[in-house]
Amino acid sequence: MDTVIEILKGVHPEIDYETETGLIDKRIFDSFDVVNIVGELMDEFDIEITAEHMIPENFNSAEAIYALVQRLEEE
Amino acid sequence: MSFISMDFALFVTAALVVYYVFPQKHRWVVLLAASYVFYGFSGVANFAYILVTTVSTFVCAMLIGNKGTEQKEYLKEHKESLTKEEKKSYKAGIKKKQRLILAVGVLINFGILVYLKYADWSIAYINLFRLSRFGRTDFIPFKNFILPLGISFYTFQAMGYLVDIYYGKYEREHNIFKFALFVSFFPQIIQGPISRFGELAPELYKEVKFDFNRIRSGFYRVMWGLFKKLVIADRLAAYVTETMAQKESYKGLYILLAVFFYSMQIYGDFSGGIDVAIGVAEMFGVKLHENFERPFFSKSISEYWQRWHMTLGTWFKDYIFYPLSLNKGIIKLGRLLREHGEKRYGKDSRGLKKLCYGFTQQLGKRIPIYIPMFMVWFTTGMWHGSQNRYVVWGLFNFVFIVLGTELEPISLKLVERFKLNEAGFMMKSYRVFKTFWLMSFLRIFDISRDVPSAFQAFKYIFTQWGSFNIVNVYENLSLPKEDFIVAVIAIAVMFIFDLIQRKGSVRERIFRLPVPLQWMMLSLLVTAVSVFGYYGPGYDAGSFIYGAF
Repeated sequence: MDTVIEILKGVHPEIDYETETGLIDKRIFDSFDVVNIVGELMDEFDIEITAEHMIPENFNSAEAIYALVQRLEEE
Repeated sequence: MSFISMDFALFVTAALVVYYVFPQKHRWVVLLAASYVFYGFSGVANFAYILVTTVSTFVCAMLIGNKGTEQKEYLKEHKESLTKEEKKSYKAGIKKKQRLILAVGVLINFGILVYLKYADWSIAYINLFRLSRFGRTDFIPFKNFILPLGISFYTFQAMGYLVDIYYGKYEREHNIFKFALFVSFFPQIIQGPISRFGELAPELYKEVKFDFNRIRSGFYRVMWGLFKKLVIADRLAAYVTETMAQKESYKGLYILLAVFFYSMQIYGDFSGGIDVAIGVAEMFGVKLHENFERPFFSKSISEYWQRWHMTLGTWFKDYIFYPLSLNKGIIKLGRLLREHGEKRYGKDSRGLKKLCYGFTQQLGKRIPIYIPMFMVWFTTGMWHGSQNRYVVWGLFNFVFIVLGTELEPISLKLVERFKLNEAGFMMKSYRVFKTFWLMSFLRIFDISRDVPSAFQAFKYIFTQWGSFNIVNVYENLSLPKEDFIVAVIAIAVMFIFDLIQRKGSVRERIFRLPVPLQWMMLSLLVTAVSVFGYYGPGYDAGSFIYGAF
C-alpha cells in the first residue's frame, strides 16, 4: 500500500490518500494522471493493466488501486 | 437485399414464422440459416470472405483458449513446486504464444479488409510516385474491388472477440456454428451496431418464447427507423447533393442549409438504419446495443462521440486507444521526456528554462493520451473511406478534441469570471449549439469531392447571404416547397421524440396508453411512412450511407 501511495503522491502530493475516496469522481485525477499512474503501477508491480480495468471504481481511492494491484498480482 | 424493400419485409416475416415454429432450444439455428440466406443475396462469392473471418477467428480463439487451459492446468499441477518467479516466467511464455496467435488472426482479417478497402488508394499513390520520380507512365491498373457486404462491421466484431479472448475476458465459444451466427447475425451486418461477444452471444443463443408484444414493439422501432430514413434522410439527399455540386452558383445560406440538412440526413439515415436493425432483432427476441443517444444534444465534441455511433467509438477506445495508451513503450516515452526536461532545464529553473521545463513536463504527461488519440482519429478517418478528405476529417476531430481539453481551464475561468451559470439553460444551449455546428461543419468533408473543395465550400458559407431566395431551393435545388415543409415538420417531430426519450422509452409510454390509442399511434406512424416517405425519381432505398463504410 505504501508503494501505491508513493506513486500517487508523485502525481498529486497535496492529497490525503488515506481518506480520499473520490479521486476520479471529484476529478482530482484527470485522464493524463490515470494513464501515468497506470504506467508506474505496471512497472513497479510487473502487472498488466488493460482496458477492462479502466473504470472509475478501480481508481477512486488508494485502497481501490491497491486492491486492483493485488488482484492482478494474484492472476 | 435492402432493409427497405418488400423482399426484406417478406424475408423477415418468413424467418419469424420458421423461427417461432422451430423447437425453442434450437431457434438460434434458424437465425444462422436466415443470416446466411440474407448474406447470400449480396452475392455468393462474398461467402468466401465471411467464412475466412469466421473460421480463422474461431481457430485462433480456440488456440488462445487452449493455451490458457494449458496454463491453468500446469499451474494447478505444480502449485507447490513453483516459485513466484518461475510461475511468472511460465505465464510470460504462454502469453507470448497467445500474442503470436492473436497477431496472426488480426493480420489475416484486417489484412483482407485493408487490402480490399485501400488497394486502389495505395495504387493511386504508387502510380503518382512512379510518375513524378521516374516519369513512368505504365500505371498499375486499379483493382476495383467491390467490398463484401458488412465487411468492416463483421471484421471489427470478430476481432473484438479475439482480443477479448486473448485478455481472458470471456470463455471462448466452442461451437463454430454458434460463433458463425455471432459474426453474421443479419439485422446488424449492413451497418452495425458492432456488438461485443459478452453482450450479443447470450442474446443469440438463449431460448426465446413467442411474445406478440415484443414483435409489436420491434415493429414500432422498425417503422420509426423507416420514418427517419424515408421521410427525412432520403427527402433531403437530393438538395444536399445538388447544392454542393453547384456551390459556385449557390453560396452562403444555400450551403449553410445544405450543411444543416446533411446533419439531419446522415442522422436520419444512420440512426434510422440502426432502428430497423434493433427493431428486427427485437422481433427475434435479441437485444442489440444502442448506437445513438441523442448526439445532437451533446455539449462537447468528446461527449458527441460518446453518443454517436457509440459501438464504433467504444470499439476504438477498447481495442486501439487503451492498448496503445497502456503500452509500456508509450508510457516510457512520456516519462523519458519528463526526465529529460528535468535534467536539462531543472525543476527550479527560471525564465525561459522554466517555460521549457514546464512544457516538457506537460507534453510528457500528455503523450500516452494524445498519440493513441491521434491514431484513433486517423484510423476512424480511414475507416470512413479511402480518401484523403476522410483522413483530414478525422484529424480535425482530433485537433478539436485536443483544443477542447487544453482550453477547458480557460473556459472554466471565464465562466467563473463572468459569474455564468455552467449548469444553466443558456450555457448548456450555447455548448449544444457550438458542438452541433462544429460537427456539422466538419461533415462538409463528407459531402465534398476532395479536401480543397471542402475548404472552398466552407469559405463560400460566409459570402453572398443577401442573394438567398427560397424559391431557388424549391425550384432549382430539388427540394420542392411541399417536400421542404414535410422535411422541416418531420425533423421537428424527430427532435421532439428525442427529447421525450430523455425521460425513458417512448414505446413503453405508448404501451401504457389504452389499446385503441396504441393502435392509432402505430397507424399514424405507418401512414406517415407510407404517405410522406420519399419515393422520388432516381430514388434508391437500398443505399444506406454507412453501409458503404
